[in-house]
Amino acid sequence: MTKAERREQQERQRAAKAATKSTGPQPGGSNQKPAQAKKGAPAAAPTSASVKKGGKGPDGKSTKEMKETTTDDSARGLRIFSHFGLPKPPGPTKGDIHPAIIRLGLQFSEFKIAGANARCIATLTAFKIVIQDYITPPNNTLSRHLVTHLSPQITHLVSARPMSITMGNAIRQLKLDISDSDIDLPEQDAKNTLCQKIDDYINERIIIAGQVIQETAGTKIKDGDVILTYARSSVVEQVLVGAWDDGKQFSVIVVDSRPMLEGKKLLSVLSAMGIPCTYLLLPSIGSVITEVSIVLVGAHSLHSNGAVYSRAGTALVAMMAKQHSVPVVVCCETYKFSETVQLDSFTKNELAPSGDLFSSFPLTRSKDTLTLSKAANLEILNPLYDLTPPSSITAVVTEVGVIPPSSISSIPLALGRTTL
Amino acid sequence: MATDTSSIPNQRVVETLASRLRRRQVVGSHETALETVLVLRQVISKARFSNIDQLVEIIRSVGRKLVEAQPKEHTVGNTVRKVLHHIREEYHTASQGTAVVSTSNNTLSIARFVLQGQPRKQNIPQKGTLNESHGTLKENNPDDPDAFARTLKPVLMEAIQDVLDELETVYDNISKNAKDHIHSDEIILTIGKSSTVEAFLKAAAAYRKYTVIIADTAPSYSGHDMAQSLSSAGISTVLVPDSSIYALMSRINKVIIGAHAILANGGMFAITGSLLAATAARAHSTPVVVCAGQFKLTPQWNLYHEYGALDFADPSSVLGFEEGNLVDKVDVINPYYDFVRPELIDAFITNDGDHPPSSVYRLIKEAYDDEDYEL
Repeated sequence: MTKAERREQQERQRAAKAATKSTGPQPGGSNQKPAQAKKGAPAAAPTSASVKKGGKGPDGKSTKEMKETTTDDSARGLRIFSHFGLPKPPGPTKGDIHPAIIRLGLQFSEFKIAGANARCIATLTAFKIVIQDYITPPNNTLSRHLVTHLSPQITHLVSARPMSITMGNAIRQLKLDISDSDIDLPEQDAKNTLCQKIDDYINERIIIAGQVIQETAGTKIKDGDVILTYARSSVVEQVLVGAWDDGKQFSVIVVDSRPMLEGKKLLSVLSAMGIPCTYLLLPSIGSVITEVSIVLVGAHSLHSNGAVYSRAGTALVAMMAKQHSVPVVVCCETYKFSETVQLDSFTKNELAPSGDLFSSFPLTRSKDTLTLSKAANLEILNPLYDLTPPSSITAVVTEVGVIPPSSISSIPLALGRTTL
Repeated sequence: MATDTSSIPNQRVVETLASRLRRRQVVGSHETALETVLVLRQVISKARFSNIDQLVEIIRSVGRKLVEAQPKEHTVGNTVRKVLHHIREEYHTASQGTAVVSTSNNTLSIARFVLQGQPRKQNIPQKGTLNESHGTLKENNPDDPDAFARTLKPVLMEAIQDVLDELETVYDNISKNAKDHIHSDEIILTIGKSSTVEAFLKAAAAYRKYTVIIADTAPSYSGHDMAQSLSSAGISTVLVPDSSIYALMSRINKVIIGAHAILANGGMFAITGSLLAATAARAHSTPVVVCAGQFKLTPQWNLYHEYGALDFADPSSVLGFEEGNLVDKVDVINPYYDFVRPELIDAFITNDGDHPPSSVYRLIKEAYDDEDYEL
């Protein structure tokens, strides 16, 4: 259907709707329609699709269209978030999904396993089980068929929760290793080699990298420092614990925020070790930032334009710190690098399920006074990630060294590889 | 203080309000301002004074007591200063009859230009001329000590009624031009629950269709109340946690927030989280608009340097006792207000028009008298 024909059909149906409408339920409805028609083809496609859906009988059409106009009426503000898509509970499994993967999917969707490193290690461990249980069907080779076997498993995990960059990089490496595996090897040996490669990956890129980062970042911490950290990063936790074990005397300010309130876990670990801690929520950060000597945060992924994609709220912390000339140091392993360029937090983000999944509200406030579910005119969004622009970051500590954000795109070079 | 017989009922009423302020049984700038005006009205109606200085001293002492009870509620002091300003104005009008202080000639003269910059004290004619010139106000009359008070009181009551009216119509006046500030299909960010901003947004919603994004505003979570109120008024709202303010800022057209008190340098105290929103907006060059009544104008400005300038609230809403073993090992901070610098604010929308932060000092000069800055 060409654009002109689509427009014609829209006009026809609009006229039909105007003719059969009794009282206009939405005052802004007719304003919205011309506004939408003015938008380019991409916008015309969804509106025509929704208008086509209402193409039944004249009455059915007009009521359906009125329903569609009510959803289109949900003003522009809500439409711009419509691409986020809420996580759905994992539906009936299609195809043969290994029980380890099913369990992992459940753990992801309930946020029992959260955090870039944790998810990646859990995924790879589950895949090791899948590979060991895999039997090459006759007339097929392991190196060709295993990848096809893994695809539905990966899709199942993605349907539970969108894949993290770390998982993506690890799986890409795994697929490369699979296709590189020697055809002549007996099956069990091939599988063992693959599992060994997975173990090496985890060891090199995550565990040892973490230790190198801990040592490097530890040198940045001096006695008497006040370190501010946001939410909970496994790497930053390692750094702080390591520095404290080395005998350095410092204090930590943990800043936390909804939706996940992960900082409390970090707080219990640090205070159990005896580190003097202060805890506050994100809006209060303006009152303490003047006393902070360094800000340490973790990352979900690094992008080649130098931006850091991390837990929602990190951008605010980095911005306030930069305002007060406090250095912002991001601790991040190189396997989190992504070649994409990300400019804002909208192109790629994830919403936490609404409702009080993380029991993040204080008990001092009774639940029924809080708005926990959608209502008419009310939408609830809990983005989980945000993008910190390179201007707010002072340095990134990786296992290949301490680099400024502008050099992040040269990380693959530093690793001596053409692909990550 | 004033004569003893009339001060006892006054004292009781003042003491009641002072203890309510101290116990935070009355909170919020608008509430406290209203209560203060009512108390002052009672005080003045029962007060006995035979010249203007005694009256001013009575009111000043009442003001001092109330401000000491709750120094963080700046509107208490502001209202007292406003009442004093009105009293002095009425007194000067009454004692000069038809003569007007401000010069009416239109000639441009350097002397007049310079004189207008002087504190009002010097523009007021000397006291000596008053007592002789007009017989309408008998001050310090030994035969009839209440004559002065009798003639002045009705005028004072009117003046206080003006202040009260202004306080009661604050929301309406601020919302008058709401539709000029908000356009169709805009996305507005607001935080916390400010009744001024609420009235403003609801007034604009009658003319425009737009979306409001409200941040939770931990730990009071007053954003939830605001979201419920706005969505039930038909405005499409999106409730987000504070952590996503920076993430969403690139799509936001305006930030509209309320204030607790506006300081003389154009900065303001506002609910915690306002500094984050304003700084993020500045990073994205998004305009920040503050809706506040003029009763929030405070003639002080060097308050924010003290750590204690921020009111601190109960830490259990940040880390409650349900966290058990963490409670005694960890310091918890829960400041109630943020100080927002004047450079981060683009405009103040008040019931008396829109002003940039750089002209706040002028508003304060017009609203209050210099000698009242220190009660």
